[in-house]
Amino acid sequence: MSIKTAQGSGLALCPKCHKLNNIRQCSGKNVRLQCIRCHGLFYPRKPYSLQYTLAWNFAALIAFIPANIYPIMILYSMGIGEPNTILSGIGEFIDLGLYPIAVIIFTASIIVPLIKIIGLFLLVYRVHTGVRLRPDKHSKFYHALEFLGPWSMLDVFVVALLVAVVELGFITSVAAGPAINYFTLTVIFTMIAANSFDPRLLWDKKQGCENAKEENDY
Amino acid sequence: MIKTKNAKQLVACQQCDALYDTPILKQGQSAKCTRCGSILAERKVDSIERSFYWSLAGIMLSAPAILLPLMGVTLVGQYHHASLLDCILALIDRGFFMIATLVFLFTLAVPVVRLLGAFYITYSFKFNRLKPSLLHFFRAFHYLDNWAMLNVFMLGIVVSMYKLLDDTELSINMGLLAFILWLICSTMASSTLDQDYIWQELENEFVD
Ligand SMILES: [Zn+2]
Ligand SMILES: [Zn+2]
Repeated sequence: MSIKTAQGSGLALCPKCHKLNNIRQCSGKNVRLQCIRCHGLFYPRKPYSLQYTLAWNFAALIAFIPANIYPIMILYSMGIGEPNTILSGIGEFIDLGLYPIAVIIFTASIIVPLIKIIGLFLLVYRVHTGVRLRPDKHSKFYHALEFLGPWSMLDVFVVALLVAVVELGFITSVAAGPAINYFTLTVIFTMIAANSFDPRLLWDKKQGCENAKEENDY
Repeated sequence: MIKTKNAKQLVACQQCDALYDTPILKQGQSAKCTRCGSILAERKVDSIERSFYWSLAGIMLSAPAILLPLMGVTLVGQYHHASLLDCILALIDRGFFMIATLVFLFTLAVPVVRLLGAFYITYSFKFNRLKPSLLHFFRAFHYLDNWAMLNVFMLGIVVSMYKLLDDTELSINMGLLAFILWLICSTMASSTLDQDYIWQELENEFVD
């Protein structure tokens, strides 16, 4: 069973205006096209999608390490500074008994970036090898990753708000720590990595595998 | 020439590239891809009118939402409050230029530009002022799709309130109300905007 795809029919979808364009006959490769409707330049599939996803993903992983080691926020009270890392900030909420808030921050700042990084590595691996590829499930997983991405910025916004609001001179003030730079980079890199991944490759690979199998059977 | 005619009656899934005949939809209906389940095409109800008024309201709310203080703290008789703009300025003061730039982009520049863009597009449709440059304008508009983070900032406000409640006296200012309304307006302005319809109309007008 094979569903007709745009690519299989010599058509390509413009990613901006969703217009179907004819692929020029001469070459079957991923050539650059100009959309007849919006005049934007695009490729039938994102070029070097897996390579870009991997590269941004590695960058995100590397930035995630200092993001957790350095303090993200320093709380000054009567001139004495108390540095807080992402994890110790969560610990404070648990000490105060504010479990829902602790869970929200833990999810947004630790679980989501990690799941995004690991998940994208997994998707790239699956598409590359085609082993146990389930496009229906994997594409849903990918969309969940894409949706969750921006929510990781939560901690950055919290720190920005606290720095601006808690400014009572000597009595108490909040300063941002170096980890905030690394953490923001992690979030941006994972968002770009997810953006670089082309979910259509999941289906292409599956169909490619099935076609090869059918040829072997006969 | 037969080929281009073919392409007009077909539609492909953005997520899995499956090819379908263009579904005929009434307002408020949407079609789903049978292979991957993502939305293939949809017709939104009264899109131009609704998006026009939501974006107009959003533009008017921008200034109070950005400039009015969101919340303030009081401790041993001292009071200090901050607005969205103050957050960005405070980060610049402390030398965190990258974070300041990104917070500025995600919570201020992108939402404002998106509102203005949606307003301009719907205004042109409502009063029949279509220009060929709208094709380029609307394409550029799509680059900002993923980068507005007002909803995340809202959650950030809630979390920092909990953090401050513990050992200071917290007060909520008018800016918070303006910000919540602004968030609602910009969400509604972009979710009521029917992109398929706008592209189709622009194509009928300017692409032969
Ligand atoms: Zn296009
Ligand atoms: Zn699909």
